[in-house]
Amino acid sequence: MLVGTADPRILADGAPKLPSFDTDALRLVGVETLQVLFEMESAGTEALLPPGLHPTLPPVVTWLVQRVDESPWGPFGLAQCRVECRSGLRPRGFLRLGFVDEPRAGAALAERWGFRLCPGRIVLDRGYDRVRACVEREGKRILELQSMDPQPLRPGDAYIVANVHLAHTPKGLRLVQVDPDWEVERAERGRPLVDRFDAEAWNSAGVRPSHPVAALFTLSSMTLPALRYVSRPDALAFQATERVDR
Amino acid sequence: MKFGVFFELQVPRPFSPERERQVIENALEQARLADELGFQTVWAVEHHFLEEYSHCSAPELFLTAVALQTRRIRVGHGAVVCVPEINHPIRVAERAAFLDILSGGRLEFGTARSSTWTEVGDFGADPDDTKKDWDEYVRVLPRMWTEERLAYRGRCFSMPERGVLPKPLQQPHPPLWVTVTSPGTELDAADSGLGCLGVATAGLAEQERRTKEYHRRIQLCEPVGKVVNDRVSTLNFLYCHEDPRVAAERGLLFLGSFGMLNAHLLFTREAYPTSAYQSLANLAPSAARKGASPGEGPKVPEGMCLGDPQRIIQDIKRWESIGVDEINFLLNSVEVLPQEQVLASLRLFAREVMPAFGCS
Repeated sequence: MLVGTADPRILADGAPKLPSFDTDALRLVGVETLQVLFEMESAGTEALLPPGLHPTLPPVVTWLVQRVDESPWGPFGLAQCRVECRSGLRPRGFLRLGFVDEPRAGAALAERWGFRLCPGRIVLDRGYDRVRACVEREGKRILELQSMDPQPLRPGDAYIVANVHLAHTPKGLRLVQVDPDWEVERAERGRPLVDRFDAEAWNSAGVRPSHPVAALFTLSSMTLPALRYVSRPDALAFQATERVDR
Repeated sequence: MKFGVFFELQVPRPFSPERERQVIENALEQARLADELGFQTVWAVEHHFLEEYSHCSAPELFLTAVALQTRRIRVGHGAVVCVPEINHPIRVAERAAFLDILSGGRLEFGTARSSTWTEVGDFGADPDDTKKDWDEYVRVLPRMWTEERLAYRGRCFSMPERGVLPKPLQQPHPPLWVTVTSPGTELDAADSGLGCLGVATAGLAEQERRTKEYHRRIQLCEPVGKVVNDRVSTLNFLYCHEDPRVAAERGLLFLGSFGMLNAHLLFTREAYPTSAYQSLANLAPSAARKGASPGEGPKVPEGMCLGDPQRIIQDIKRWESIGVDEINFLLNSVEVLPQEQVLASLRLFAREVMPAFGCS
């Protein structure tokens, strides 16, 4: 059975700090999300995940680019690069790195849910023929995605895998399970294109997209949950999952 | 109640030709023993690219070996992926008929459409179309087996007038099944007059609801074949040992291993948003997870046949009471149980459990 081989101590460098687990759920409204899935080359996949997580077969990278209309910090954009994985039996996307364009939102997402984020410029542009997204870091374009020829789906057909974040917590270095609740109003599936991906800039050296799977655009609300479970990054979830006390 | 054995051919890492051979040889030995002990059917799945989880990419060859090494047990092609990018329907009909002849008329023929992106996507099939493909296959395959010559113009394939050869030995044709993982497929099975080959380890309450509805609807079916198969089978895990503690310990090892491998597959629903796949359709996780929160140790889930003979008899009686006709057992997962333990479990089951259900 394949498991991650990344050294958690090395992954911990740059991981966010959660001062407490006392996090209330937060509902974000008017959330546009573009999710692009690509299979990636399998060589080196295990090295992108800590030993507490398993890669999928085949390995898959997902990018999530979002624009949030209403939040306590006003509108903001968020972009994430995740490696799909399993924590025990549960599907998860392990966040390698994300970018956010509103500093207060970025700080709150990091401190309350363990999002590992850097400042960046995020564009999400929905057209009828395509949805485009791009991310810039310090003026350099590090991601360009497209969802071509979007076709409407039933909202219930949208499926976005939950996140898992590595963070310094009151229990020590832990994988934090973040399972947002989505209320999808509109969903469209498109043909995915990756025009540019600077893996190094996304803390994802070794991620080499190889085969397109699907692109999904949704308009929804998204509720970030109160934290319930964390697990040690160096052991399998069955042995290493802990309930969080507020 | 009838009992079968069900093979995924799970191969542990690191892969080697010798290890592949050993898994196949062990499965063949289990099939021969099942034949001697009075089991009804040996089923073999069809899967592609599912590392560790299933190396059973040529089940018709495995089942041919089973057929030639056994006398009485039926051979279940369960199930053939009915998607043209993976199996052309004419080749499916030919191979199945050939296997029926070689086995002396012992073929049970299962149909499916695949639930993983790993298979559907990598063969280039369109996930939106696989249900339509399946529908077309189950209507045309019986015609290929029963009509001397057939001309066909369809959505996923067409053919000029030809005699598809050979014809199966069983008349009018082998019993037809459809694998049921996604909720609702049992209704398709009922409406088409197909046997319900349960391969998701649903809990008892869920299985009871589905079975009742299946039996009600199949009374009104428009059968796609020349005969109706109204049997309901379910998938289970078997490890039988006199000491319940040993049975639970070894059984959970096997169940847990299967569940983990299954969970690592990339299901179509997860990867490719579509109305055609409404659930992940994974097999063991819900059963393996039942009764346990994250961080808690696993328990033997309700209805799983992992225990001493008395417990297993009680479990099977509950399955019987809700209308299940057959239970097919997985016996091992990536060889976590040594072969002698698997064989001993089968023998004990046959000696202590099967007589309680009129089988011997």
